[in-house]
Amino acid sequence: MSLRSVRAAVVIGALGWLLSPPVAFASAEVIRRQLESGLTVLVQENAAAPAVAVTILVRVGGRWEREDTAGISNLLQHVLVKGTTTRSALAITDEAERMGGSLSASGDVDYSEIRGAALGRHWRELLALMADVALHPALALAEVDNERRAAANGLRNRLDQPFPFAYDALMARLFPSHPYGVPVLGRFESIARLDRDTLLAHYRRFYRGGRMVVSMSGDVRASEAAPELGRLFAAVPNGDSGPETPMPAAVAALDRLVVTRPAAQAQIMMGFLAPPIGHSDYAAVKVLQTALGGGMAGRLFAELRDRQALAYSTGAVFPARISQGFLVAHIGTAPVNAQRSEEGMRQQIERLGTERLSEAELARAKRYLLGQFDLDRRTNARLAWYAAFFEIAGVGQHFAEAYARSVEAVTVDDVQRVARTYLSAPTVVRLDPSPR
Amino acid sequence: MAAIAAGLLYGCAGRDSSGPSPLPIPSREVLPNGFRLIIHERHTSKAVALQLWVGVGGRDEAPSERGFSHFAEHMLFKGTDALEPGFVEREVEGVGGRTNAGTSFDYTYYYMLLPSARAAWGIEVLADMAFNSRFDPVELGREREVVFEEVRLGEDNPRSFLGRRLYEMAFPGYPYGFPVLGDPAELRAATRESLRGYYRRHYVPENMTLVVVGPVHAGEIRGVVARAFGGMPSTGFAREPLPGPPTTPSPRRLTLERPGRQAYVGLAWVAPALGDPEMYAVEILAHILGGSRVSRLNQTLRERARLVSTISAGYGALQGGGIVSVTAQVEPKDIEAVEAAVLEEIRGIGEHGVSRTELDRAVAASEAERVFGRETVEGLALAYGRAETVWSLAGDREHLERLRSVSAHEVQAAARRYLTGDYVRLALMPKGPGR
Repeated sequence: MSLRSVRAAVVIGALGWLLSPPVAFASAEVIRRQLESGLTVLVQENAAAPAVAVTILVRVGGRWEREDTAGISNLLQHVLVKGTTTRSALAITDEAERMGGSLSASGDVDYSEIRGAALGRHWRELLALMADVALHPALALAEVDNERRAAANGLRNRLDQPFPFAYDALMARLFPSHPYGVPVLGRFESIARLDRDTLLAHYRRFYRGGRMVVSMSGDVRASEAAPELGRLFAAVPNGDSGPETPMPAAVAALDRLVVTRPAAQAQIMMGFLAPPIGHSDYAAVKVLQTALGGGMAGRLFAELRDRQALAYSTGAVFPARISQGFLVAHIGTAPVNAQRSEEGMRQQIERLGTERLSEAELARAKRYLLGQFDLDRRTNARLAWYAAFFEIAGVGQHFAEAYARSVEAVTVDDVQRVARTYLSAPTVVRLDPSPR
Repeated sequence: MAAIAAGLLYGCAGRDSSGPSPLPIPSREVLPNGFRLIIHERHTSKAVALQLWVGVGGRDEAPSERGFSHFAEHMLFKGTDALEPGFVEREVEGVGGRTNAGTSFDYTYYYMLLPSARAAWGIEVLADMAFNSRFDPVELGREREVVFEEVRLGEDNPRSFLGRRLYEMAFPGYPYGFPVLGDPAELRAATRESLRGYYRRHYVPENMTLVVVGPVHAGEIRGVVARAFGGMPSTGFAREPLPGPPTTPSPRRLTLERPGRQAYVGLAWVAPALGDPEMYAVEILAHILGGSRVSRLNQTLRERARLVSTISAGYGALQGGGIVSVTAQVEPKDIEAVEAAVLEEIRGIGEHGVSRTELDRAVAASEAERVFGRETVEGLALAYGRAETVWSLAGDREHLERLRSVSAHEVQAAARRYLTGDYVRLALMPKGPGR
């Protein structure tokens, strides 16, 4: 086996803390290697705690599913950790817990993940366990049944809780006839039909070297961990399963849906299609989202909670998506305040297009945005995940620095421009409580 | 700004995982006015964690003050004599940091996570919040509505609803039996004078600890703290003792209907308080019973019998008393069977004990919880602040060693003593459309 080695130096934590004096901290290098199969290996040394974390990301998830297979990626992930050809479900969990660790898996829209962690002294055992789970799944019938039932229960849980219910309803309106509009858990009907053969075919199609990244961070030597990863994952099938089927264009339903459910709080969500990660407007929309609903000084929090006392929780999110992004503003409020809250949220969103932010507000938004990005990349689990995600998203291991520069370059005019471009017409979902 | 109503499910302490060397001891000192300061220099971090811990929580409230600890915590962000409302959040976020607070039965704490160069500024602001908060009546009126929204939010989450109600049932009439978020009538009746009076009574130097963890120089921090907190006179404050240990509740069964499709069941037993010599055995017992995916309840009820979607057991050790709870998400028809199966598992431990493997796994889990929980400066500060406020740093340090010394016999004895007597059961039954 030959390894093609690329070393990407990434200065961890170079983004935030703009008012701090320069501090000379050791920069964590991301050692990047690609196996012959196309599988990418990433290792970061971090001796801050005697622990290791590993993330395996695979380019498979909701965006590759159809209505009749909705939820298959998430289900597959959950069954993967329930047994290999040589280890039972109990043996896997037992082994992970004896290492003082954990092992779990889940699906998402742009990728699926297996994540593990252990005390640092067990790093070799953890890698061996995770390689076995990823490469030799048993997909036992009983486990498929059990996890299918668990997925259906997960869907019921989302229906039972106002926030997830409203969020799923919003996604369905933002992304009608589009895979992003379907819950990662799938549909009751599709889950009920998924069987072992379908899961196995899905696994064989997508678990290929060209679609996989194994990322590790922790109290290890990269010079030992990288070859070990290469050895353990050498058997991954080559390739990336051929050309991708193009994603359908997302066309949001620009309407207002009001649903009535038993609940204590009304939920109001306004959603907008927005750029994906890597798009030239991505950084400006991140600043826009932060000014609108990031932290406790964002406009939604300061105006609707602090000044008008309409809510305990309100804010805006703009998660990184690979092919199509979205921004959601949210507020949970007393039923009697639902109308006022909806109008208030609409007003705050419209203001961003009609009035320019002040320079002070812009500066706060940038520093908060970059500061939180920095703070989120400190534990081994998060460091491993970020490195793997940058790889899967195709933005490279230098993304963090480039992103920081892009955020710094955003002007008040940019924010107003992207507000007009992306926030002009909302998709609204409002959940009004009915008597409990 | 949140209520931590589920009590203290603390991690473990003791030794680092990779070798015999103990964790570095943080410096701890007591100022002449009784204010306590804990500093841990961690120069591998760029961020500094500042946490102000106050010995006030739900347990300190008189019947007419239910919810005051949490309400006061909100009001500390609503302006001081020198700082306008919203200033703290805006300034902290404006340097890339974050700030918030939490209230529990036994404590309240405020945190800032900041660039290290801003540590002195953050300490001064925390001192200003601690001693000079304004409790402006207009702000107070608004924030009361925010707290009511927090209550509504909790009502809509079945798991937090179940946890809160289990505490109420397990500790009837005891301070832990009342919600930290308070009573709407008492909150409505709160005035500037009553709430500020409560704040002034409890926010005194001898009832506070500041924890500083990060790339700081201890000498500089001591100087800043002496100026910011050292000048406040001590008041002779002594925290009111808890009214003796909670009594074992009478066996009580309650079924509540909630909208939805899923049923939940919770069982709870009164257990030893934090610091009790038996708490180590009970912690291990709860882990073996339902603290992990390999645990007995998970293996028996979820993996083999397929009776539950999720199940877990936990031990909440509070200053005045503890609670062992088992909670599960189930099909409505299976609630009785689940309860019976849980009791059967407990009976099994009581009769046959636990294995060496189970003991080792529980200790490894605690060790990992400690390591992973303290990867960040705020995780480490949280551990120190909580230990200093409700227990002791020494207790925290020795915790893992004490867990290692627990024998299978002691776990068996704890199961017999604490989990075979009276317990309370709460079932949440769905009244919505089935699926």
